[in-house]
Amino acid sequence: MSQSKLFKYGDWGIYVLFIVIVLGLPLVMTDVFWLNRIAKYLVYGMLGIAIALSWGYAGILNLGQGLFFGLGAYMVAMSLKLQSYTSLQQGSENPVPDFMLWNAEPGAPTELCCITSGSWLWLPFQAQGFGMAMAIILPVIVALILSSAIFRLRVSGVYVAIITLALVLLVRLLIIDAQPVTNGFNGLTDLGWLTIGGVEFDPYLVSTYYIVAVSICVVLLATRWLVSTRAGLILQSTRDDPNRSRYLGYDVAAYQVFFFTVSAGIAGFAGMLYVIAAEFASPSFLDISFSISMVVWAAVGGRSSLIGAAIGAILINTIEATASETEMFQEAWKLIIGVIFVLVVLYMPRGLAGLAEDLAGLFGKSRDSGRTRRAQSSAPAE
Amino acid sequence: MVAALTIDGLEVDFGGFKAVNGMSTVINRGELRVVLGPNGAGKTTLMDLISGKTASTAGEVRLFGREITNRPEHQIARAGVGRKFQIPSVFRDLTVRDNLSVAVSHEPRVFRNLRLGMAAADRARIEEVIELTGLEPVLDVVAGDLSHGQMQWLELGMLITQQAKVILLDEPTAGMTQAETSKTADIILRLKGSHTLLVVEHDMAFVRKIAERVTVMHMGKLLAEGPMAKIEQDPAVRDAYLGSGGVQ
Repeated sequence: MSQSKLFKYGDWGIYVLFIVIVLGLPLVMTDVFWLNRIAKYLVYGMLGIAIALSWGYAGILNLGQGLFFGLGAYMVAMSLKLQSYTSLQQGSENPVPDFMLWNAEPGAPTELCCITSGSWLWLPFQAQGFGMAMAIILPVIVALILSSAIFRLRVSGVYVAIITLALVLLVRLLIIDAQPVTNGFNGLTDLGWLTIGGVEFDPYLVSTYYIVAVSICVVLLATRWLVSTRAGLILQSTRDDPNRSRYLGYDVAAYQVFFFTVSAGIAGFAGMLYVIAAEFASPSFLDISFSISMVVWAAVGGRSSLIGAAIGAILINTIEATASETEMFQEAWKLIIGVIFVLVVLYMPRGLAGLAEDLAGLFGKSRDSGRTRRAQSSAPAE
Repeated sequence: MVAALTIDGLEVDFGGFKAVNGMSTVINRGELRVVLGPNGAGKTTLMDLISGKTASTAGEVRLFGREITNRPEHQIARAGVGRKFQIPSVFRDLTVRDNLSVAVSHEPRVFRNLRLGMAAADRARIEEVIELTGLEPVLDVVAGDLSHGQMQWLELGMLITQQAKVILLDEPTAGMTQAETSKTADIILRLKGSHTLLVVEHDMAFVRKIAERVTVMHMGKLLAEGPMAKIEQDPAVRDAYLGSGGVQ
């Protein structure tokens, strides 16, 4: 009987290649503008991983992943906003975000505690560590509550998609509506830089790129480990036939809640990194189209492959950036990506990862009969 | 000795229609009990009530003296009840080996399963089950690609791996060829003694091969119980199957 392994069928090669390229990129790409761009796409890659985890492995289609991304982004953006130069220029001892002045009632004191209704919520964010911690904690708590309600009631399939879709829209409205606290539609801009131990991380520095690059590598390996554990295998069983899992004694909802929450935590972490690289947080993170884009990236890359979904997200965004700067493709790009999505769904349900696997199967028949891994591109061993 | 499974006055009311209506029976440890009855007698509903799929409206189910009535399915399963469905229910996208691996469920909690691999004893048990069910040649095939018979054996194998003390089998030979039926009977006979089995079946040749004691249900109630030979001679049972309506 084969022992369980983190990797099998040699697909560790893809992981090594991915990590080497991601970590080695600054050596060949000296254009900091592009490096910063790639950092953002790596963040999207993390979102792809989060989607693959919930959609591919748990069978939970979350159309509202932007909620967790957005929450993570806002949490760290609040801290960075208070570190911004402009926040110190508002005539008070302690930093106060500029937009709060524009939203303040006449005569309100220029202090974070009471300048606008609800501005006190910002008080703990004066500590950058608080914002960074909350960027993961808040999405995790929200996901825990939401998924406990959904999965204990045995809501599944398209209904989960509808609920998450509705929820991300709702929170988006709330954020826009809470103008005095969130700067509403404009989002949080003009942020300070992340500062750790006195070192400032200018988004256009190679070191900032490495924060993101190391993060995605760690997330990739950690999730890979997670789905290779017995818990990961049991999760896949609940995707295939939840009743059978129940009659074997597994509390299906517990597994779904756990992995849904991990996926949300990754999305929150991604939101935090995005703000560090992009220097803004905006309600557009909670747009439906953004959440659906994530699903498209994962589908094209291969939803049942963590690394496939990550590569799908990075590739699509890199091509999109190039294409949308070419005049000819500017308008047509959305159409092109739509057509690619339809073609992938119809003819390549396992995405790029499935394609790569089939090609590898053609060349390496002696190692693997190919019949064994129909539905999973990176099936974990038991 | 405490009985393996005690069903006491079990009843379910589907808006006025009582599919199971005051059913009682006692199944001893290591016994293989076959449940017979015409269509609509309430056999599958009885299994649903025992395994927690459907909530009963009256009565009790006890497993080795412990009450398990109307608990959530996974708790009943953890208490020791394994169930095989009429339509094979296996994890179609997982390989046969992974299916059996998931069936090692003595530690069902999420955080305790955050580890690679499993204990040597569990692996040895899986090997035993593979040998018993003859699934060796298809271990790396995804379960969805198995033949109907192999799928049924896999599901049986999963129940054995699960170490269910009481196994409920709902028409284990439905849709099987003669050869497959015969192999299924062999597997079930080998389980007798070490496991307690409750089998719903229509195939009389198969029933004669495996049955000792037989319970006959009709209109949600116990109609007759006893050794197969005696049951076949029972006039009430004959009437129920012929539908004379003279049973009530």
